[in-house]
Amino acid sequence: MSENKDIEQHPGDGHEGGHHHINYLGIYLALVVLFLISVAGPEVGELTGLRWITLVTAFGIAIVKANLVIQNFMHLKWEKRLMKWMLATSLILMFLMVAGISPDVMNHEGNNWENIAAKAAVERGVEAEVEEAEPVEVVAVGFSAEGAYRSICATCHGAEGMGDGPAGAALVPPPANFTDPAFWADRDRDRIVAVLENGAASVGGSSLMAAYGGLYTDDQISELADYVMAFAPGE
Amino acid sequence: MAHAKPLATLRSATGIPTGRLAVWWVLASEVVIFGGLLGSYLMHRIGHPEWAAAAAHTQTWIGAVNTFVLLTSSFTAVLAHQAAERGNGKEAAKLLGLTILGALTFLVIKSFEWANEISHGYTITANTFWSFYYTAAGLHALHVIAGGIIMGFVAFDAYRGRELHRVELIGIYWHFVDVVWIFLFPLLYIAK
Ligand code: HEC
Repeated sequence: MSENKDIEQHPGDGHEGGHHHINYLGIYLALVVLFLISVAGPEVGELTGLRWITLVTAFGIAIVKANLVIQNFMHLKWEKRLMKWMLATSLILMFLMVAGISPDVMNHEGNNWENIAAKAAVERGVEAEVEEAEPVEVVAVGFSAEGAYRSICATCHGAEGMGDGPAGAALVPPPANFTDPAFWADRDRDRIVAVLENGAASVGGSSLMAAYGGLYTDDQISELADYVMAFAPGE
Repeated sequence: MAHAKPLATLRSATGIPTGRLAVWWVLASEVVIFGGLLGSYLMHRIGHPEWAAAAAHTQTWIGAVNTFVLLTSSFTAVLAHQAAERGNGKEAAKLLGLTILGALTFLVIKSFEWANEISHGYTITANTFWSFYYTAAGLHALHVIAGGIIMGFVAFDAYRGRELHRVELIGIYWHFVDVVWIFLFPLLYIAK
């Protein structure tokens, strides 16, 4: 290819307005700040108990970020109108498709139909997910009761032992609240060790609280039991 | 060889250079592909509250690091475009090289993430949540791989001062890959 042709095809051709002076670094920094906010969102949402904060920071920010990239990095704002219509058409078609099937996917029953499989999946789901969640292995970086509790137990029992972990929210019965005096009224250390060793089902409780005897040694179970006992109020 | 370029490359009925029009056409169809996939995920997720238990296991900080990696690689890609606009092919090639490095970093992190999840039993068949997870992130990863390879060719030419306009074209594609991840990140890692 001769040099001339390259010059003819020089980037910037065909953009309305030719070369533009954009502060790319500024846009990039704005994207990074938005990104940090979206990561912090769930923490704020959890602290304040307002889940909508998480949703807004997650999806609201995604839309703002995407728009910054599309307009300034992909230069859509300087493209011919034809191009914008082309993209708008495919966006509209995509939304039409999603909107069209959404009633069938999001509802599990209608006037004349019932999605038995989906309903059963929701019912079964909670237990099935939990069973799957069990084989989590502790990465071999050395055992600590606190580490094990935080990485495994806290998902259901919550970091503060209040039974409010994210994976526990949908469970029936709910994960035990170790800070509740009523919980300790009829429990002692031996019982906790037995539960950890063989699961709550072994003492007449729910199988949602699995056995951890296969995962931890007796010493580790004993440390974990101490860790759980430490949540008990008073004393 | 050099003169055997297809006529359409040099012609432009719309006033938009053919290459750029073509890239945008590709992206317009990608919008439907990814939009359909993510839309289906969202609808199922709303219909199945029990997925929260599975979704709770995705590793937010890994997703966050990868988001940062892709954002940064988008930045180097746009700088490459700027360099190409100024006719500086060597600089453009260097910046594309950095972008490829970003793509590789993304993929390495992703493989560790997946290996870890699979070893814990969270495979693509574990349940519908994980099916969506691997399908959506996998399709995206294929785009990262394709982008990285094409960028290699473009950088090779750009370094020799050839076909500099292609730096912008691969950049547009690359930013799109970034935009898809911008939506995947909250869907799979944040608002789960
Ligand atoms: C999948 C969610 C889940 C995880 C993970 C989990 N638990 Fe539980 N746990 C439960 C549920 C649900 C109950 C309530 C069982 C019942 O009421 O029968 C429970 C109950 C308990 C109890 C009280 C049992 C009794 O009746 O005396 C103890 C002690 C306990 N868990 C400790 C732990 C420890 C320690 C870990 C981490 C090694 C852990 N749990 C991990 C869900 C979980």
